[in-house]
Amino acid sequence: MKTIGRALAVAVCLSWTVSASAATPERVQITGEIIDTWCYFSGVMGGPDAVVGSAHHTCALWCAAGGIPVGVLADDGTVYMVLKLESEDHVAGGGTIMDLQSDRITADGLLYERDGLKYLVVEEVVSNEGITNPNHEDYGPVPPFAIPDPNKK
Amino acid sequence: MKRLIVIAAMAWASLGVAMAQDFSEGSEAKPWNLNGEEKARFTAKVVDVLCELSGDCADNCGEGRRQLGLVRDADDALMIVMKNGQPVFSGAVADLLPYCNQAVEVDGLLVGEGLPAKLYQVQRIRAVDGEWAKTNRFTKDWGKAYPDEAKLKGPWFRKDPRVTSRIAAEGYLGLGLEIDAAFIEEEFGE
Repeated sequence: MKTIGRALAVAVCLSWTVSASAATPERVQITGEIIDTWCYFSGVMGGPDAVVGSAHHTCALWCAAGGIPVGVLADDGTVYMVLKLESEDHVAGGGTIMDLQSDRITADGLLYERDGLKYLVVEEVVSNEGITNPNHEDYGPVPPFAIPDPNKK
Repeated sequence: MKRLIVIAAMAWASLGVAMAQDFSEGSEAKPWNLNGEEKARFTAKVVDVLCELSGDCADNCGEGRRQLGLVRDADDALMIVMKNGQPVFSGAVADLLPYCNQAVEVDGLLVGEGLPAKLYQVQRIRAVDGEWAKTNRFTKDWGKAYPDEAKLKGPWFRKDPRVTSRIAAEGYLGLGLEIDAAFIEEEFGE
């Protein structure tokens, strides 16, 4: 019984250590697409493959201008919420982050994790390949009204 | 044995399992038919997420520049708030900012499937024991920031100069005006 007790006590200490160290950042380099996280997670505009890339670019601009959190969708599917971008903390509707919407970038920065989510303080955008996912060819504009019909005045 | 049970309970709690709690009691949140949607009403503290995580803090939670979140009283869980209550591509910073570092009660939706933690859409907010306010400040603040554009016909996102300037430069698809024109012709041409 004492052994079980000690094991549980160690488990508690370890979990507290994990919790306490959650604010300690890890230096990372992340490659992925800058996305609108609300549409991606909520499904409000469709499935995850439709709410990225060129198909969703205009909507991504709207959401970024609206101050909805922007994230980096890494190649392994992990989403990193961007909290700061190259010393610019205007990530809720700021112009710098809007310029990167839908682009595939490599970002160097600090990773914070808490309560299951990953947050990224981008210190440097190491490279920017622009929009590399021309998925409008498959999905058209998402949502469909993102591009106004020129025939309707 | 008692000590074992206490230790086990502490281990369970410290692993963050409290996040699976049901917060729907008393919620009047409207459904949006979103992935994994759950009503959630709870008390919390409004925080600047960057400050909360890193210690990089700014006056008044960044005055609207930074993403804001909620640290829930029940389990100390940090949630970044994704969305306000307006169906117009608008976040919740304007609605949370008046309560920076204050205790609030919020009502809205937890959203997301297959995630370690759900994300939050706030539909109404109040200072503890205060009057409820709908989370619709975004468009009011936008109208003050862009008074000339606000007079024009149409929703804010069609008129916002930050958006329209980028579409004018790179097109709706972001791939350049030539690709844009060809696509629009294919999509809408007769």
